[in-house]
Amino acid sequence: MSQNGDEQEEAQLPPVLKASVHDVRYFAALLRGVNFVNRATVTIAKTGFVVVVEEARTLLGTAYIFADIFDEYTYNSESAAAPQNSQTSEPEEEEANSAFEIPLNTLIECLNIFGTAGSSGAGTGAATGKYKKWKRAGDDSDQEGDEDNGQGRRSSNGGARGIEHYFGNASDKATGMRMSYAGSGFPLTLLIAEDAAGPTTTCEITTYEAEPHLQLPFESDRIVLKIILKSSWLRDALSELDPSCDKLTFIGNPPPAAATNGKQRAANGTPMLRIQAAGTFGSTEMDYPNDRDVLESFECTRPVSFSYRFGHISRTLRALQSSTKTSLRIDDEGLLSLQFLMPSPKAKTEAATDAFIEFRCLALDDELV
Amino acid sequence: MRFRATIENVNTFFRIIQAIEKLQKKCIIKFGEDVMSIICNSEANEGGIQVWSQIKVDSLFTSYRIQSNASNVITMALSSEALLATLKSASTSSKSAYETEEIVMKLAKKNDQAVLSFEISGMTRQGRKVRVAHDVKIEVMKPADVANLKEPMCPEPDVHIILPPLQKLRPIVERLRPMSDFLAVRANNNGRLQLSIRTDTVNVDTEWKNCKNTNKASTASQDTEPDSRDPDELFSVLVSTKSFFKFLNSHVVSTTTIACICQNHCMILYVYVGDLADAGGVLTFYIPGQLIDE
Repeated sequence: MSQNGDEQEEAQLPPVLKASVHDVRYFAALLRGVNFVNRATVTIAKTGFVVVVEEARTLLGTAYIFADIFDEYTYNSESAAAPQNSQTSEPEEEEANSAFEIPLNTLIECLNIFGTAGSSGAGTGAATGKYKKWKRAGDDSDQEGDEDNGQGRRSSNGGARGIEHYFGNASDKATGMRMSYAGSGFPLTLLIAEDAAGPTTTCEITTYEAEPHLQLPFESDRIVLKIILKSSWLRDALSELDPSCDKLTFIGNPPPAAATNGKQRAANGTPMLRIQAAGTFGSTEMDYPNDRDVLESFECTRPVSFSYRFGHISRTLRALQSSTKTSLRIDDEGLLSLQFLMPSPKAKTEAATDAFIEFRCLALDDELV
Repeated sequence: MRFRATIENVNTFFRIIQAIEKLQKKCIIKFGEDVMSIICNSEANEGGIQVWSQIKVDSLFTSYRIQSNASNVITMALSSEALLATLKSASTSSKSAYETEEIVMKLAKKNDQAVLSFEISGMTRQGRKVRVAHDVKIEVMKPADVANLKEPMCPEPDVHIILPPLQKLRPIVERLRPMSDFLAVRANNNGRLQLSIRTDTVNVDTEWKNCKNTNKASTASQDTEPDSRDPDELFSVLVSTKSFFKFLNSHVVSTTTIACICQNHCMILYVYVGDLADAGGVLTFYIPGQLIDE
């Protein structure tokens, strides 16, 4: 009974967010990358939305999900829809975003309700060349049929593009989704369906008022170490480590001036990049060779060594596993920024931006360790 | 009391017991002349789910011989786990070391303990004969206790609907299970079925629109009654999510499943073993409705 009331209200105000996608796997994979704490802050803007998760006031996980991963994405600023809320003095950027908190795990479980949004282990984004042809056009047309709001529509060029899929899932079936958020105080509504003949699921996920979270600003002029490498190189190194480790240290040294692109490591034996892990049962050291094939770019201004809690670094593994490239940066106070490029299934055919997931982690205080 | 049979269709028997075992560690099996009934009615069972099944003897056994003072019916209580383990070793799978040729099941007494004895004879890959024997301890029930076993009484169901394949339902309920302890099942006489949960954090409704209704009960009684009702009216029952998920374990054996809803009272599920027209048997699950203040 109360649902009818909600619907009427929705009809009056355009919803703050309306988005749809015919295959939720990529979206779900991005969310899963930061799914280490249940409560996530979602900030919606015109260009897409940002999901932020925080742990122990030390680790910040952020998934940047751009609007173009969706077939349709419409954002109506909440303050514009409600003029009595006079925030004209606020800077534009603040005004243009709506934020709420959401139980992230519940959202992911809902997306995966038919078991076709991919499991956590199925992320094989790095395994290139293994594309899956995926169900063709017509099947999502019935879902878009009742769409009258054309302004922000991204699917105008739909139909002709051959979308290939990265994730080598066992199932060929994909779950389509339509998402809407009517504004502060309203639930996030998801309409999920596998195909026209099958069942449809409606989920209403309660949203909470966003609370301010940890801010870890990363300034580019304070960077002391900056590396770009293939994710698989980092993934292999980190997955090699015993889970009982408690401390992980990144050691970087400026490359020897003479042999910047040389394949040989400098004779004096100081490694350019070393990952060192220490735990109760011993320690592990891994050196990366100075090789363009391994380290695509390497900038280091002075010798650095910062340690992090292994438990925090291992939180990044899920995102790392489905990413292709990693950017690792450390600033002069040891703040670590790991950015993982998440290959978009559309990127091959369209000028779509790949989404990425960023983790920022504070270094352990050396004197306390 | 004599009982002896050859298990012809061991894989089906195995799957039936597999579904039962997930539900309850002990069960009652009543062997009759034509029908074998498997009963789970323990009160200790969480959510109060009960199973009363009827399986035609011909569909599982050959050379079936039974004799007892209680009009040729033998009722026994036994561990479903032990029975499952026995059937597992008897069933032909790629993993087993031998090819099963014959399985004889009989009632026996060993060291004053009544047992159901399974004699499996097989052939190894090397062509040698093997004989494996399993004894499952049983407790033969007294006729007086058997008479006390009563199927739950239910009113005439408001709706009969054929469920989508249980393998499809299972992943959905699996996602819902951690979210909510209670699951509302709704259906109408127009092919619509809904599963929904309501919690503080999330409401999830899954709806099927093109299920088939059956009205086998109403044809038996008066035919005038169904017409007077609005076919779109939804009938709903709230059940324990765990119980419903346990019932879904019977997906290993099911071909067709009919769900009956007695509004706010209970849910009855008929799981047909084998083809609906030529069903070898039916497992009947009773899931009581839960009443919570909303």
